[in-house]
Amino acid sequence: MHDLDDQQWRELLQRLRRFALWLTREPGGADDLVQATVERALSRRGQQRDADSLRPWLFTILYRLFLDGKRRERLHARWLAWFGRGQAEEPTGGEIESIVLAQADLRAFARLSAEQRALLLLVSVEGLSYKEAADTLGIPIGTVMSRLSRARAALRELTEGNPTPPALRRLK
Amino acid sequence: MTRLIPTEHELHAYVDERLEPARRAEVEAWLAVNPEDAARIEAWRGDARRLRAALAGFGEQPSDPALDLAPLRRRLRQRRQWRLAQAAVLLLAVGLGGLGGWQAREATLFAGMLPMADAVEAHRLFADASTLDIQASDPARLQAWLGRHFNRVGQLPDLSGYGLQPVGARLLSNEAGPAALLVFQDRQGLRISLFLRSPGEHFERMPSGQRTDGQLQARYWSHGDYNFALVSAVDDARGEQVRRALGVSL
Repeated sequence: MHDLDDQQWRELLQRLRRFALWLTREPGGADDLVQATVERALSRRGQQRDADSLRPWLFTILYRLFLDGKRRERLHARWLAWFGRGQAEEPTGGEIESIVLAQADLRAFARLSAEQRALLLLVSVEGLSYKEAADTLGIPIGTVMSRLSRARAALRELTEGNPTPPALRRLK
Repeated sequence: MTRLIPTEHELHAYVDERLEPARRAEVEAWLAVNPEDAARIEAWRGDARRLRAALAGFGEQPSDPALDLAPLRRRLRQRRQWRLAQAAVLLLAVGLGGLGGWQAREATLFAGMLPMADAVEAHRLFADASTLDIQASDPARLQAWLGRHFNRVGQLPDLSGYGLQPVGARLLSNEAGPAALLVFQDRQGLRISLFLRSPGEHFERMPSGQRTDGQLQARYWSHGDYNFALVSAVDDARGEQVRRALGVSL
């Protein structure tokens, strides 16, 4: 984090936030996730990074934190179930719509699973190598390839089955 | 023209421009004579392009001052100094020994995880609920139930001297195994709970103590195979006496 100037840092934060938004599909949760990622990165600063490996490293931290959060949610749901409070409600992802233009492309993308969204973001949007994506997601490179194949097929299907809406409208 | 038909993985690598130049040229040539596959590749590529376009600028927001670089660097420095200071405090406390040392140790150990937080949470959820597993105003019945689920637990003391009668109990669970909430109440309907569970990894040798959590007071201790917590209202004067009575007999 020492070799970066303000501009590069802001851009990096924005990328992290974009990744977090598509994982959580919820702006508040995404901001918390970015914040927690930066905190974690600061506390592990002993592992010095050059600018190139900083980005995949931060994505890795963010993704791990996201998974931890999911695990805690499931634990919490089980705990509530034990307490007879029933299953905690599944997050609906409705809020993401308030920040997404109602574009067919993004709507199709939003319907992919969190794992598929994460992988397409890393490979197609962030331009990470397959190796970096595998490290970030903590899966073997072979799994990256087969998941990529499924994700692209699924996106294709969703895009084709979803004709462009007559007019674009911004959901607020 | 080409020796090998590209694999599905190679086709993806082609889209992502991750193929070696030589192989890339071969795949390109193969696609030229396989228009169906070429169309499929072009569709993937189009999807990726549209995704990039749609997401450009996505996630932009007014910059969060807390995440600006200068304050972050400042916080890094402060954190280093804080660590040094903490280490110094700990050394000092250990040097002084006795109570001071113990408290510092406890504060360090449990910063970040509150002892028996699950007990307080269980009390909040259930002490006033009518959904207890068993309704037992008879102490003997409650004791029998407890013995069934926790076979190495002692005797529940008679708490009627403090004006408390059993209401019932609820069996719970956490990662370490079963846990239970036993609920007592006085004539005014004020409830006190006893929570017990097998020790989790963090609380194996949990020191006795107490803490306030909102309107609730948790007094906790370990004995035999279990961790215990008595959860009562902060202003309930009986808390300490009941805690002692329980500590003696359980």
